Amino acid sequence: MKSDDEMKLTAYALDELSASERAAAEARVRNDAAARAEVEKIRDVAKLLSSELAAEPAPVVKPIEMPQQRRRRLRWGGRLAIAAAVSVVVGGIAFSVLAPSLNRAREASIRAQDASNLRQMEQPQLLSSNDNRGTYPRTATPPQSQERQVNSQPTPMASAVDGKGVNDAEGSKAGDQSEALNALPTPALPLLKSTGGYAVLTAPSSNAEKDTFGRDTNAQINRNNFTSRLRYSYQNPYEGTAAVGSGFELNQSPRSEFAVTDDVNQAKHNTEAYDRVVDNAFLDVMQNPLSTFSIDVDTASYANVRRFLSSGQRPPKDAVRIEEMVNYFPYDYAPPAKSDERPFATHVEIADCPWQPEHRLVRVGIKGKEIAADKRPASNLVFLLDVSGSMQPENRLPMVKRSMRLLLDQLNAEDRVAIVVYAGTSGLVLPSTACSEGAKDQIRNAIETLSAGGSTNGEQGIQLAYSVAKQNFVQGGTNRVILCTDGDFNVGVTNQGDLTRIIEEKAKAGVFLSVLGYGMGNLKDSTMEKLADKGNGNYAYIDTLNEAKKVLVEQMSGTLVTIAKDVKIQIEFNPAVVESYRLIGYENRLLAKEDFNDDKKDAGEIGAGHSVTALYEVTPVGKQPDTKPAVDSLKYQKPASAATTGRGGDDSGEMLTLKLRYKQPDGDTSALIETPVKDTGGTFAKSSRDFKFASSVAAFGMILRDSPHKGRATYPAVQEWAEDGVGEDKGGYRQEFLELVKSAKKTAGQ
Amino acid sequence: MNGGTDDPHWVRSTVDRFERPLLLYALKIVGGDVERARDVVQETFARLCDQPPANVNGHLGPWLYTVCRNAALDVRRKARREMALAETADETIESATPSPAVVAETNDATSHVLKMLARLPANQQEAIRLKFQHQMSYRDISRITGHSETNVGFLIHRGIKSIREMLS
Repeated sequence: MKSDDEMKLTAYALDELSASERAAAEARVRNDAAARAEVEKIRDVAKLLSSELAAEPAPVVKPIEMPQQRRRRLRWGGRLAIAAAVSVVVGGIAFSVLAPSLNRAREASIRAQDASNLRQMEQPQLLSSNDNRGTYPRTATPPQSQERQVNSQPTPMASAVDGKGVNDAEGSKAGDQSEALNALPTPALPLLKSTGGYAVLTAPSSNAEKDTFGRDTNAQINRNNFTSRLRYSYQNPYEGTAAVGSGFELNQSPRSEFAVTDDVNQAKHNTEAYDRVVDNAFLDVMQNPLSTFSIDVDTASYANVRRFLSSGQRPPKDAVRIEEMVNYFPYDYAPPAKSDERPFATHVEIADCPWQPEHRLVRVGIKGKEIAADKRPASNLVFLLDVSGSMQPENRLPMVKRSMRLLLDQLNAEDRVAIVVYAGTSGLVLPSTACSEGAKDQIRNAIETLSAGGSTNGEQGIQLAYSVAKQNFVQGGTNRVILCTDGDFNVGVTNQGDLTRIIEEKAKAGVFLSVLGYGMGNLKDSTMEKLADKGNGNYAYIDTLNEAKKVLVEQMSGTLVTIAKDVKIQIEFNPAVVESYRLIGYENRLLAKEDFNDDKKDAGEIGAGHSVTALYEVTPVGKQPDTKPAVDSLKYQKPASAATTGRGGDDSGEMLTLKLRYKQPDGDTSALIETPVKDTGGTFAKSSRDFKFASSVAAFGMILRDSPHKGRATYPAVQEWAEDGVGEDKGGYRQEFLELVKSAKKTAGQ
Repeated sequence: MNGGTDDPHWVRSTVDRFERPLLLYALKIVGGDVERARDVVQETFARLCDQPPANVNGHLGPWLYTVCRNAALDVRRKARREMALAETADETIESATPSPAVVAETNDATSHVLKMLARLPANQQEAIRLKFQHQMSYRDISRITGHSETNVGFLIHRGIKSIREMLS
């Protein structure tokens, strides 16, 4: 075996090959027993390494706990701070980097984020005159020196101001204060010898080693910092074992691409943060008569954009997926008639385009069959909960628990719920239990006892959850694994590729997946979206209890009951009427025209009562779009100039034909719905509220994306269109949108 | 404000999530000195705070490891210089042997395969740790270390091969 081949095989075994390379390697492994054995052996070693490395003891860092009585005394003292935690103020933002488990101090520093506090913290002298109730030290660096410090000084050292000088009243206590600190088993920070004064983070290079009080800082501590640390260094698990060695000997170079101050790299970061989205361009109907895409009922982008805007920031361009924003809102499209066998109804509305009045705007609305709560088929739900350490914050596991309680209230004796957790180990917390009124307390108790801690091993959890779902499979019902995570999905011994394969496989067996992202949901946004995609499921980002209500209560049947899968839309435009068109959003959902009739091509799912909206901006014949790229006229074909009769098409007057393909949730062959559509010349002013509202959301998205097609759209215009379209607004979502537009307007200074 | 995020949970949860793994990683580079490793991790989070979230979203992990690695390498370089200066003073203290209890504990806690890992060249060790301890892909490892992806594949391949040989 050549070494290059061997490397390929290793990469294959570790799932590190690109799709094309993997296909080749798979073929090879299939035909070559030796290669197969090799892959097995590599995977064995990989597993061994993963498990041993996961179990490798971390440095023992004991929590710094002050003795009870001391804490009390300190509180009386009020201004005497424990020099145990260092809060760093970076450009007006405080955060703490501490020994693990100094959670209280962390909370304190987060509390300190109050902007008014920060102003004060930039001037340390105010600290001493301030009533420092927090009992925790707040240390600050003047922001102007931060840049230099961070860039030129990799190790900011802390110097401690002699507590005695700062606070004479407490001076007598300083003695036993330092005693307590010295007695700490594991010095957490370089403030080891501090006598309990305020710590000021300074750049070691700064020659002005005077503290802000005008005295010499405790220079000795500062100078001794590095050398003394050798003496005080930890007994870490690696020390003294020659076999293990104490570390890597790495080369300084090559420097990697993430140099912090490099502008070029920062630009790279931005494009990599989200999958890049490039606005669909206007397409000439003569060349591209067909527009094909997969439906998308995800809404995560809107919640994410909302998070940015509410914190006064403009979201990154690529975080704005217009179709997800438009589809976030419920629309009043009529569902199919009860007698109708088809799982959804289509509604097309055409009016002039508000941001480009000579263009027409075509709205395609699809409404899934509604299923009344009491007609909902029995559900077999398995919650798969990430209970790893990162799930601790209030907006994660506690929010998951609240969401589960909300959902539980909607379930009845027909339904079953099981709970599987995963962290360092995974396990069944609650076996599948029918949700009869009597049993609900038991389920609630199980939810109550959940707590976060440990590292993540998602794979075992997923396997277990799917096997529980399979054991309790309800024929003709809803069988679903609901994964609740913050996206920190370490998969332990296997890798992302294997995981998606597992999920894909299980989806074929009829167990679908819902992914609910909590906390900073966009961290692994694309991973979560892909998992849900492969698992025939949906993905929602839950940032507030209201969002949980929307997804799990108001739209519960939509979230749980899939009524059609692999739903694709294809529109054929009539060149006699339409010059060119542009699909707004759905950039990541475009399909090749051949994919439409190919039942092997996966596409989006639609849940009960879900509505899906797509918008096309259309240039009627004779109105050349100014945004259309200039193309040289063809040499061998007759030029298809506008407003000539040479365009072909038919004279039916139809603008387009809407075609939909879908499969039943358990079916393998698709059915087709075809609807011809005529433009009856409606105006925007007289269009429906839903039309106005959807257009305003799309226009808002285009402004945020700074789309070349935004035309006359401005924040005030968006606000006006949206206000016209608010209507009844069940749940207040549209009102909330208006607030967002207003805050975006404010942020932009308009 | 010069950037950063004002979502308190963002920073806190990042610290919660990455503090321990980064500490482990930095520890290996700075040569087992927990104090220094902690400084490095602190430095890493300080830099994170200076970044607009958009810069790190989507690859927070690789970003943190990269910054952590560079900071750790800087610290190690500096520490060597200082060590040279303080050599005479510190030597006796440095050579003090850990208590027998600690040695026993450490030996027990160190698995066979980790001892084998420790015998590999440093760059292979690092790549293997990033892959199997920190769940980084070849691509992420390439970004963090600056080695090409092919080179990362090579390092991991060689490392696994050597361990297999040692195991058999």
